[in-house]
Amino acid sequence: MTQFLQTAVGGLSIGTVYALVALGFSIVFRTMGLVNFGHGDILMVGAFLTATFFTSWHLPFPVAIVLAVMVAAVMGFGFERILRPLERSDLNLMLIGTIGFGIALEGVAQLIWGSIGTAVPTPIANTPLHVGGVIISPYDLLVLAAATFVMAALYVFLNRTKAGIAMQAAAMDYDAATAVGINVSRCNGRAFAIGAGLAAIAGGLVGPLVYVQVSMGSSIGIRGFAAAILGGFGNIPGAIVGGLVFGLIEEFAQGSSYGAYTDVITFVAFTLVIMIRPTGLLGEQTVARP
Amino acid sequence: MTVRRGVAHLALLAALLALPSMLGSFSVYILDLALVYVILSLGLSMALGYAGQVNLAQAACFGMGSYTLAILTLKTGIGYWGAFPLSIVGGGLLGLVVAIPSLRVQSHYLGIVTLGLALSFTAILTNWPLTGAAIGLPGIPGPTFPGANFADSSAYYYLLLVVVVVLFALATLMMTTSVGRRFKALRDDSVAAAHSGVEVPLYRIIAFVLAGAYAGVAGALYAGMVHYVSPDTYSLTIMFLLLAMVIMGGRDSLYGAALGAVVLIIVRQEFVSLQQYEQVGYGSLIVLMVVFAPSGLAGLVTSAWTRLLKLAGTAHGPSRIRTLAEGSVDGLGVDARAAALAPAPVAHAPVTDGAPILRIVDVTKRFRGLVALDRVTIDLFPGTIHGIVGPNGSGKTTLFNIITGVYAPSAGSVQLRGTRVSGRRAYRVARQGVARTFQGVRLFHSLTVRENVMVALDASRPRSIWRYALAPWLVLVAERELRRGADRHLARYGLASVADFLGTNLPYGQQRLVEIARAMAARPSILLLDEPAAGLNSHEMRDLAGLIRHIRQAGTTVLLIEHNMGLVMSLCERVTVLASGSVLADGKPDAIARDPRVIEAYLGVSAESAIEKSFA
Repeated sequence: MTQFLQTAVGGLSIGTVYALVALGFSIVFRTMGLVNFGHGDILMVGAFLTATFFTSWHLPFPVAIVLAVMVAAVMGFGFERILRPLERSDLNLMLIGTIGFGIALEGVAQLIWGSIGTAVPTPIANTPLHVGGVIISPYDLLVLAAATFVMAALYVFLNRTKAGIAMQAAAMDYDAATAVGINVSRCNGRAFAIGAGLAAIAGGLVGPLVYVQVSMGSSIGIRGFAAAILGGFGNIPGAIVGGLVFGLIEEFAQGSSYGAYTDVITFVAFTLVIMIRPTGLLGEQTVARP
Repeated sequence: MTVRRGVAHLALLAALLALPSMLGSFSVYILDLALVYVILSLGLSMALGYAGQVNLAQAACFGMGSYTLAILTLKTGIGYWGAFPLSIVGGGLLGLVVAIPSLRVQSHYLGIVTLGLALSFTAILTNWPLTGAAIGLPGIPGPTFPGANFADSSAYYYLLLVVVVVLFALATLMMTTSVGRRFKALRDDSVAAAHSGVEVPLYRIIAFVLAGAYAGVAGALYAGMVHYVSPDTYSLTIMFLLLAMVIMGGRDSLYGAALGAVVLIIVRQEFVSLQQYEQVGYGSLIVLMVVFAPSGLAGLVTSAWTRLLKLAGTAHGPSRIRTLAEGSVDGLGVDARAAALAPAPVAHAPVTDGAPILRIVDVTKRFRGLVALDRVTIDLFPGTIHGIVGPNGSGKTTLFNIITGVYAPSAGSVQLRGTRVSGRRAYRVARQGVARTFQGVRLFHSLTVRENVMVALDASRPRSIWRYALAPWLVLVAERELRRGADRHLARYGLASVADFLGTNLPYGQQRLVEIARAMAARPSILLLDEPAAGLNSHEMRDLAGLIRHIRQAGTTVLLIEHNMGLVMSLCERVTVLASGSVLADGKPDAIARDPRVIEAYLGVSAESAIEKSFA
């Protein structure tokens, strides 16, 4: 039982990160009907930036994350600008464009930070807490708290602010939104920037949990994307549920006697779920594009 | 023109044959590598480019080919050539496994699923003792052939060249005939493809299996060349490189895919000292290509060539991309008399005993809470023109979608000549003689008018695909026959002069006509027209009415959704009025027009519906 709980805690911890990544995917998808395959690589860049600001520049951890988020948001904004000509024509091409963007980012990161990578110390004292025989790392709790805060803030932004509501309107109907004076392209730019910001937050937070290296972008990115689809693509609560479920599946697979084949187990399980319920656990929320 | 092409091909082949003698052995080795990638790229191009299937597992299928060969030769000793065909089967089988999700999900979903499966494959390679885990398998034997020493990279080059030429020819044959046309059709519009009788799920699987089998060949040849396999060779990095090759070369061109592979492998080698910039390079290349040259190198070459011909003043014949001037055709340009003199015979024997040809029985359709159709019962009698009218949102198009198999009804059934068809797949319903057009015109936008019709006219079944490998001449004969049939059909609709145009470049009225011609190509017994008069001017409307009458006279029963009441009243023998998903009235047009309920629910609120319509 303790073993079971311990594994569950581990799964929820990494699941929180996946949920954050999934949120980033979903927010761009909701507004543009597009998947940013470069999302994971922005996460990786966010992790490296946070690591640099925190360990080399000795800035406080929260400040490091905020700076990384700002850089990432600018990147996201710029990238949307480059791909804008394809926005209304060919989403499949745009999808491939985002893959190209991810590859290029990986290359740039390799040039700047090298291929060896870096370990990031936890920003708070990390004496494990013992709760009923289960060991919980305080940093995991911090990640959970930070992620919850970010998700809440995002929810408030989308539903309570003018810019957020405009973004949702642009997602629902391009023409109607344009007709009432919403600048849809600007909304898309914002969506990309917010998505990139979320990726950078996730990257910054996950840094102390894993070893920060160039390849983490695709590995965490793919899992976060799968999590988003698992929960229901474009669906905000779905992203959170999907992230946690994906983290749990992975952690339990890891703990089983077939631990070496974790990837096989998780992705085959994921494929089966998606084939049975293509719209994910909580249902897809998407843009009805003509 | 064909002579010039033949000469160009011969020159290219001669150059390729002479190449090794002009280069050092290391350069030839790089060429060998490039040829392996050409095979991979051709395979991916068919699946990703032509069929539009986001297949990110091509590198995994490549690995499957290599490892199958390695394991079979090392553990069973059946020799290189014994293992070779099994490697192709291995690649194809992995392609099949990866294809299964494509039946349920598409686009980005498919991307992530195939990527996930590819990762799983790599995870197996790096952990399984049989595959040598992370170390891989060394000492793989190469191919042997009497009188040839394949350890020499020049000899291997010729072996590869033979395979590449054969596979290129095969791919060209497939992509320029039935299979490729169907790939493009389902990529452009999978719904319209299904309604034109294309077995969409099956062709998606074929696309993956083809790509996988090509990757299997490449894998076997690669293993025989380097004598060693390890998981790194088949990683995501290689997958992305392959993607860059196909995108750079051009999604719609096999030459492009081959060129992309050769260029990228050589560039990669030339700049090996700048390897750290490699990823930045091909990543940016993909972004730049999709934004500025979505048709790739092949597209750039074609447009440069066209411009050159134009400068030289030798451009002749109608260019595919020319647009017809608006208004150059009066009405739809249908020669009604010609159509009447040569009515298309109907393949399915008309029912003459007065029994309904199509019965819609108590059909209910619910979308979650919304009841779109509520116990709708309609009988369609052979040889009639039957109108369906009703305010927007009354369920007319949903009804069409149920008849044609897009949706299964929540309750009730649709019976075609006494047999239940509801719940069958759209392409099966289409094959049984039910054709349709769409509310907004849905032509296959990368196909010409002739090709649009050929898709629907093509009666060959996927199982006859063996012909491509074993009797290619039969494919060519059938293709010529099909083309002639399409031209005859187009002539009947007065569309012969635009056969070579892209459908989407025609004026709107003609696009509608092409869509009707496409629907009629398979000689359906029932034609469903969804608001065919929308957006037509009065000339075109008059021609349309004549055309619909001729279609009926030729033996096809017509079911017509239309908002233009004048057209409905003058054309239809029978009219059904739908309101909020139920049948409000059903009968002769003049009786309908006098029915007080109809006037109240539909015609009586004309002011309101007029406002609605202007916003629709």
